[in-house]
Amino acid sequence: MKTLVALWRVPSARLALLVLFGVGFLAVFGGALAPHDPLQQYTDEVLQGPSAHHLLGTDYVGRDVLSRLMEGTRLSVVGAVEAVLIGGLLGVPAGLASAWLGPRLEWITLRTSDTLVVLPFTVFAIAVAGTLGNGLQQAMVAIGVLISPVFFRVTRAATLGLRKVQYVEAAELMGATEWWTLRRHIWSKVLPNVAVTAAHATGSALLVVASLAFLGLGVTPPAPTWGGMLSSDLGYLAQQPWAPVFPALLMMATVGSLNLLADAIRDATGATAAPRRRTRPAVAAAAREERPDVVTV
Amino acid sequence: MSVAAPARPVALTATGRGTVPAVVRRSAPWLRSLAGVLAVTVTVLFLASVITFVLGALSDSNPAAAALGETATPADIDRLNHEFGLDRPLVVQYFSWVGNGLTGDLGRSWFTTVPVTDSIRAALPVDLSIAALALVLALVIGGGAGIGAALSNGGVFDRAVTLVCSLLGTLPPFVIGMALIVVFSVKLQLLPAGGYVPVQDDPAEWLRFSILPGLALSLDVAASIARQLRTSLTGELRENYAVGAEMRGFGRRRVLFGHVLRNAAGPTLAVIGLAIPLVIGGAVMTEKLFGLPGVAQLALQSAERGDVPVVLGTLLVTAVVVVIASLVINVLQTLLNPVARRGDGTAGVAR
Repeated sequence: MKTLVALWRVPSARLALLVLFGVGFLAVFGGALAPHDPLQQYTDEVLQGPSAHHLLGTDYVGRDVLSRLMEGTRLSVVGAVEAVLIGGLLGVPAGLASAWLGPRLEWITLRTSDTLVVLPFTVFAIAVAGTLGNGLQQAMVAIGVLISPVFFRVTRAATLGLRKVQYVEAAELMGATEWWTLRRHIWSKVLPNVAVTAAHATGSALLVVASLAFLGLGVTPPAPTWGGMLSSDLGYLAQQPWAPVFPALLMMATVGSLNLLADAIRDATGATAAPRRRTRPAVAAAAREERPDVVTV
Repeated sequence: MSVAAPARPVALTATGRGTVPAVVRRSAPWLRSLAGVLAVTVTVLFLASVITFVLGALSDSNPAAAALGETATPADIDRLNHEFGLDRPLVVQYFSWVGNGLTGDLGRSWFTTVPVTDSIRAALPVDLSIAALALVLALVIGGGAGIGAALSNGGVFDRAVTLVCSLLGTLPPFVIGMALIVVFSVKLQLLPAGGYVPVQDDPAEWLRFSILPGLALSLDVAASIARQLRTSLTGELRENYAVGAEMRGFGRRRVLFGHVLRNAAGPTLAVIGLAIPLVIGGAVMTEKLFGLPGVAQLALQSAERGDVPVVLGTLLVTAVVVVIASLVINVLQTLLNPVARRGDGTAGVAR
């Protein structure tokens, strides 16, 4: 709550929060408030510009762009949020565990994260669609799994830095259980980092969901999503430049707000920007600095 | 007895250390780091193959349903399952799949019975050439923008670069590609909007066909390169050695290109290494957009038909390509950075 108040004082964060609140509102109520049926095709009003009847114009089969945008917000946002939640649920506990529960688990989690980083989003999503079937759930689980290394690294880096802090050692000396230390001292310090990452990850998940829609994965047409609208309307850019502008603007506003919000959270809470591999490599490098006789080939 | 026992190993190690040649001893950290990188790479490849195989094992499609469709009888299903070896235990299937994969055989398509490796071999050069072109373009564009922004630190150009980078990051990559098509192919009629000529047939034609896809693919990476290069350059320019060089009368350009760029290149290379999966994954989008006959089209078509061996093959090959590219980046990083050259072996793929 205190963080939220601090965030509200930053102008860019206030703007971002307002935009995101609006998007959230659209996601919940957009479908009910839409002036037209998003699937209704007004075949004599194809590719119209904005007018009184269709506030944002119509697309290539004459569907109302505004209604499709409002209805599509839900599917786009829910998809991205679901993917980020899955990523966080997989990545954050793994990150805590790898810094806390000993070297064997650490090695396993590190290598798993390395492997997931190697798999490209789109190719993996295609493979999942090809083997497990094409659908929103499969696509979101696939993206969530591939996002989890980001959460893993951020959590791990923050936790590693705290492992040797004096008050944590003091708590351990006073007989605090590991669980209590984790909850009381570590979690509150890790949380801002996780929040920053979540904001960034939601932005990129929105983009990935849109890209998958372009490939025909995830939500299947005619159900509207931002990405689906963009990819179908962009084909008619030469004839009707209006249609793709609105989903593109909404998307840019949302992703941009998420990025602004992430920066503002980072500034307000003092979370570190990127995972810094602070402890081990720094120590190793320092140890090696002291041995000038090491000549490399 | 009890005194002699511990003495022996100590003596052994002592003589062992004495007889090891100086060259080996000096290169020991280097060798150890090489071994570390190798161990990580092999583990990553192993895990990637396991993930890929598990996807296939979880799939409920089978060759009979894929090839014969609704008309498949249980007998047909059993016969084809047996023919493709799917009635064996999963562990056996995995090891035969990976073992054959190591010799370049990833099975046959359930539909066309064309070997998967042949299909991928025909499609992969398309992606690799486009991705390589995109990386070169990204380096030129991103490098230029990053250096320019750092030179005009806080100036108009710097702010313009930052703004463009932020905006590029808020749009899905295919939008940029489509905008490029509309501008260069539809309006200006300069470049073809689709199609492909292999580079070995006619390099000039290849460039004509692949410059737009390459550009579309490169902009995302160029933005992250520019951002990172700007950050590390402005940081390095404030370091003592850069200020000192400037005080001794070297021009700003000479300090930048002679001293600072080499040090700032390390983090930028790391960014490029991280971007490689993005480039390969983005190549999928670009392929679809420009109608290139690449791996992604192959994977998409097979995914639509439920042709599991081809889908798994493409995923595995993509992972291998990314791992190899990351290794190359890692070696470059080591060559550039004396601390990393001396340093922690697992830094490579582990990033």
